[in-house]
Amino acid sequence: MVVAITVLAYVFIPYGYNNQFLLFNMMMYMALAQGLNIIYGYTGYLPFGYVGFFGAGAYGSALVIIYLHWSPFPAVLLGGLAAVLVGMLLIPLFRLSGAYFSIANLAAAEALYYIIANPHLASVTQGPYGISLPQVYDPNAAYWTMLAILVFALILSGLMRRSRFGLALGAIRENPVSAEMAGVNVVRSRAIAWLLSAFIAGVSGAAFGWYISVFYPETVFSLSITVFAIVFVLFGGSGTLLGPLVGTLVLYGAYNYIGISTPQYFQLTYGLLIILLVLFLPSGLTSLLRKRGIDVP
Amino acid sequence: MLRKLVLRVVLAAVATAVSLGAWASPSVIKIGTLYASSGYFSQASTRQYDGLKFWVRQINAKGGVYVKAFGKRIPVKLIAYNDQSSTMLAASLYNRLITQDRVHTLVADYGSVLTSVAVPLAQEHRIVLFDETGTSGKFFRPENRNRYIVLTGLPTSSQWPKVLAKFMHSKGIRRVAILYAANDWSGSQAKTLNQTLKQDGVDVVYFHSVPDSTTSYSTILHSIAEYKPEAVAEFGYSDNDIAFVQDYANSGLYFPMVFIPNPALHFEVVRKAVGNKALRYIYSYVAPPIIRYNREVTYGPTLNEFKAAYAKAGGKNVDLSTVAGFNTGLIIQKALATAPKFTQESIRDAIDKFSGKIFTLDGLFKVNRYGAQVGEFLPVGQVLPTKTGVALKAVFPSESAVAKAVYPAPRNK
Amino acid sequence: MNLLEYALLAGLFYGLYFALVGVGLNLIFGVMRIINLAHGDFLMLGAYGAFYLYHLLGWNPLWAIPIELVVFLLIGLPLYYLLVPRLQKSGDPEMLSFILFFGLSQVIEAAAVFVFSNNQRSIPASVFGGAPINIAGQVFPVSWIVSAAVGLAGIGLIYAYLYHSRPGRATRAIMAERSEAAATGISVNRISALAFGIGIAAAALAGIFSPFMIGAIEPSMGIGITVISFAIIVIGSLGNPIGTLLGGLIYGEALMLMQTYLASWSELLPYVLLILILLVRPTGLLERAVRSA
Repeated sequence: MVVAITVLAYVFIPYGYNNQFLLFNMMMYMALAQGLNIIYGYTGYLPFGYVGFFGAGAYGSALVIIYLHWSPFPAVLLGGLAAVLVGMLLIPLFRLSGAYFSIANLAAAEALYYIIANPHLASVTQGPYGISLPQVYDPNAAYWTMLAILVFALILSGLMRRSRFGLALGAIRENPVSAEMAGVNVVRSRAIAWLLSAFIAGVSGAAFGWYISVFYPETVFSLSITVFAIVFVLFGGSGTLLGPLVGTLVLYGAYNYIGISTPQYFQLTYGLLIILLVLFLPSGLTSLLRKRGIDVP
Repeated sequence: MLRKLVLRVVLAAVATAVSLGAWASPSVIKIGTLYASSGYFSQASTRQYDGLKFWVRQINAKGGVYVKAFGKRIPVKLIAYNDQSSTMLAASLYNRLITQDRVHTLVADYGSVLTSVAVPLAQEHRIVLFDETGTSGKFFRPENRNRYIVLTGLPTSSQWPKVLAKFMHSKGIRRVAILYAANDWSGSQAKTLNQTLKQDGVDVVYFHSVPDSTTSYSTILHSIAEYKPEAVAEFGYSDNDIAFVQDYANSGLYFPMVFIPNPALHFEVVRKAVGNKALRYIYSYVAPPIIRYNREVTYGPTLNEFKAAYAKAGGKNVDLSTVAGFNTGLIIQKALATAPKFTQESIRDAIDKFSGKIFTLDGLFKVNRYGAQVGEFLPVGQVLPTKTGVALKAVFPSESAVAKAVYPAPRNK
Repeated sequence: MNLLEYALLAGLFYGLYFALVGVGLNLIFGVMRIINLAHGDFLMLGAYGAFYLYHLLGWNPLWAIPIELVVFLLIGLPLYYLLVPRLQKSGDPEMLSFILFFGLSQVIEAAAVFVFSNNQRSIPASVFGGAPINIAGQVFPVSWIVSAAVGLAGIGLIYAYLYHSRPGRATRAIMAERSEAAATGISVNRISALAFGIGIAAAALAGIFSPFMIGAIEPSMGIGITVISFAIIVIGSLGNPIGTLLGGLIYGEALMLMQTYLASWSELLPYVLLILILLVRPTGLLERAVRSA
C-alpha cells in the first residue's frame, strides 16, 4: 500500500510540478531515511557517519564510469557494492556500544572523505578537483533509477518488519544477551542489517552523483546529509515503515518551501526540533498514532 | 447556438493570445541567481550579489535593459535565492530558477564549487549560464561541447599564475617552494605554477598540499625553510592565507619572496585579519578594483565612476567580487543589446560577436568558443608601505606596474 | 634534527593547549555519561567573547579568562537543570543525550550566525606583545607559550578541584558509582550541575586562545573541535584530567610530526587515532569498558 502510493506519487507528480531535482532529493532522502531506519530503527545503532556510504557510492560509481567506461546502471550497483565494502571494513565498530559506535563511525566517514579528497590520490579519485560526468548525463534516467532504489528500500524495510529476521533484530535491540541465548546469531544478523543499510546509501549516492554529474568530495560527504536523514527518521518515528517517509515528506517539504525564503532559520529550527523531539517525543510522530491504538506499518 | 458562438469566440481569443505570446515581448526580463548568506562562501558571494543588484538598480532607473530583439527597454527583475553555500541546496535552487521561475538569464553563484552544479543543468535546459567567478578549468573543456556557459570575469584558475612564473624567472629566482590547500581552485594554480616554472628551468624544491582546513602553518613553514627556497608561494582560501601569513610573521623565518593569492580578491579582509605589519612586502595577484581600468574602458562606467556611484548608493568597500557581479550585469546588457533574436542561442552567438571587442572596468572581455575567459590576465602585485598604512600595488609586468617590486624583501620589516 | 626538535617542542605547546580543549568534555562525560556534542560550540562562543572584548573594548584576551569563567558557569548551571535530569530518566540516556546535544550544537551555531555573522574573525597574535621567544635554539610565537601555560594551569586547577576540595571529592564519587554516591547523601544533581558548568566554562576558556592555536573564529568551527576533543579524551582516560593531559600531548605531538613529515595527510590524524584507540585498546586506555556484545 505505502509502496504503491509512493510510486504513483513520484510517477505522476513530475507532470504537474517540474522541479525534478526537488522530487529527486525527496526520494533520495526517503531512501536514505529508510536505510538509516534499517540499522538504527531495528538495531539501535545510530551511524553518525552514514554519509560515508553515500559518498563511497557516488565515488565508486563515478570512477568506474570514468576509467572503465561502464554504463550508469551497473555503475550505480557497483556504487552500492563499494558502500558495502566500506561497511564490511567498519563491522569491527560494532564492538563499541551506543555513542562510541556513532562517533567512531563519524570519524570513519570523515577519514574516508579526507582520503578521497587528498591530492596525492588525484590520479585515482581526482582528489579535490571533483568529478565531472558529462558523458552519461541523463537526469531522467537517474530519476527513475532513484525511484527504483526507493521502492527497493521500502520493500526491504517492510519485509524486515514482518520477517523472522526483523524480529531477531528487535530482540537484539532490546537485549543482545538474551537474544543470543534464544538462538539468534547476534553478530551475523546485525552485520546483515548493516550491509543492507550501507547498500541503500551507496546506490543512493551513486544515483545522486549521476543525476547532478558534477560534484566535489565535500558535496557527497557533507555531514548535513546524515543530519537530514537522522532528523527525518526521528521525527517520523524509527522502527516503522511509514515514519521515515512521513518525516521526510513533512520536514524536507517544509525545508524547501519555507527554507527558500529564510533558510538561515532552518538550522535553528532543526536544532530546536531535535531537542524537543528527544525531550518530549523520542519515538516520533507515528508514536502519537500508536498511542491512540492505530496500527502503523 | 449561443453556446457554440461563445465557444468559438473563446477559442479564437485563446489562439490570438497564444500567437501574440510568441511575438510579444515579456513585461520583465527575469534574471535568476543564487547567493550565500551563510557558510563558507558567504562573504564573497554576498559582495558579488551586491554588485549584480547594483547593476539591476541602475539599469532599471534608466527604464530597463535594452533588448534588441524587441527594439525597446524592458525592466529587469532579479530572482535570487539563498543557497547557504550548500551545493545540494544550490542544485535544487538552480533547478527551480530554470523550471519554475523560467528565468530568461541564469547567473551563477560565487566560485567554482557553487557554480559546478549549475553547469550541467544549464546545458541540459539550453540556457546560457553567466558564470561570474567559477574559474575551474573543467567547466570549459572542449569535450564537454558546452555552448551554454560564459565566464564573464576572471580567467580560468589554471591561467592565473602564468605571469607570476614570469616574474619569478625575471628576478632570477632559482629555488621555489609551492604549498597549496587541497581544493580545485588552489590546486590548479599550484599545478600550473609548478609546470611553468619547471619549463623555465626554475627548481621547484618543495611542492606539497595541505588539507583545506589547515589553519596552523608554523611547523610546515619550518619544513619549507629546510629547503632554503628564495620564493614561497602558498595557494589557499582566505583563511589559509591569513593563517599562513600570520604564522610566517611570527615564525622568525625569512624568505626573500612570499606569495599568497587572496589579497587580490579581498584585500581588506586579509589586511584586517593579519594587520599591516605582517602583510608588508607580501606578493599577490592584482585584479580590479586594485588595478584601475579607466582610460581603457569602452563599455560601461570606468572603475572610478563605478566606485563613486556605488559609494553614493550607500555601498561599502568595493572588492573584486563586487566588480565581478556588476561586470556580469554589463555583459548581459551588451548581449541583450546585440542579439537579434530573444533566444538563448542568439544571445550566446551575440557574445561571441562582441568577445574581444569590449573593455569593461573588469578588463578586456574575451571568451573562447567554450566560454572560457581568455582576455583578462592577472599581473603580480606587492603589498607596499604607504603613508597611511599598506597598499597592494601592481609591480609586474611593466605595462601594468605602478610601483617597483622590492625584491628581496627587507629582512627586518 | 633541527626540524624534529622544532616539531617536538611545538607539539608540547599544542598538547598542553589541546588538553584544555578536551578536559571539559571529559568532565561532563565522566560525571553524567553524556557526550556533549555542543562542546566545540561552547568553545566557539568563548572565542567570540574574547574577540569582542578585544575589538570593542580593547581588552587583552587574558582579561577574558575571569569574565568568561563566571559567565559560562552561569550559563551551564541552568542548562543542566533544563536538559539533563529529564534525559537521565529516559530509557537510553547515552544515545538520546548524544542526539539532543547535537541539536543544541545546531541551535548554537545557527544563533551564532545571526549574532556574529559569518565573517571570519581573529585576534592578532601580536596582542601578547614582543618578538618571538627563543627556546632551546628554536623560535616560537609568544601566543603559543601563553596558550600552553593557560592550558596547563587550567588542567592543574581542575585536578586540584577534583582531588582537594569537598565538591570535587563528591564529583569523583559520582563518577565511580552514581547510585552509591546518592545513597551516601551526596546531592547528585547539585554536584553534577557544577561539573557541567565547569566543563562548559573550560571549553570557553580554551576558546579564548583558539585564534592563536586553531585558526580564525567562525560559527561553524564547533563540530570539528568536538571530534578532536573526543579523540583526545578517548586517548587519555575518561574522568581523569591527567589522562586528558596525556591525550592532549599525544595528539599535539602526533599532529606536529605529521605536519612536518606528512603534511597533506595531517587532517586524517584525529579520526584515525580515534578509531584505532577505540578498536584496539578501548579498555586499556579508558577506565570503563565501552564495548558491548
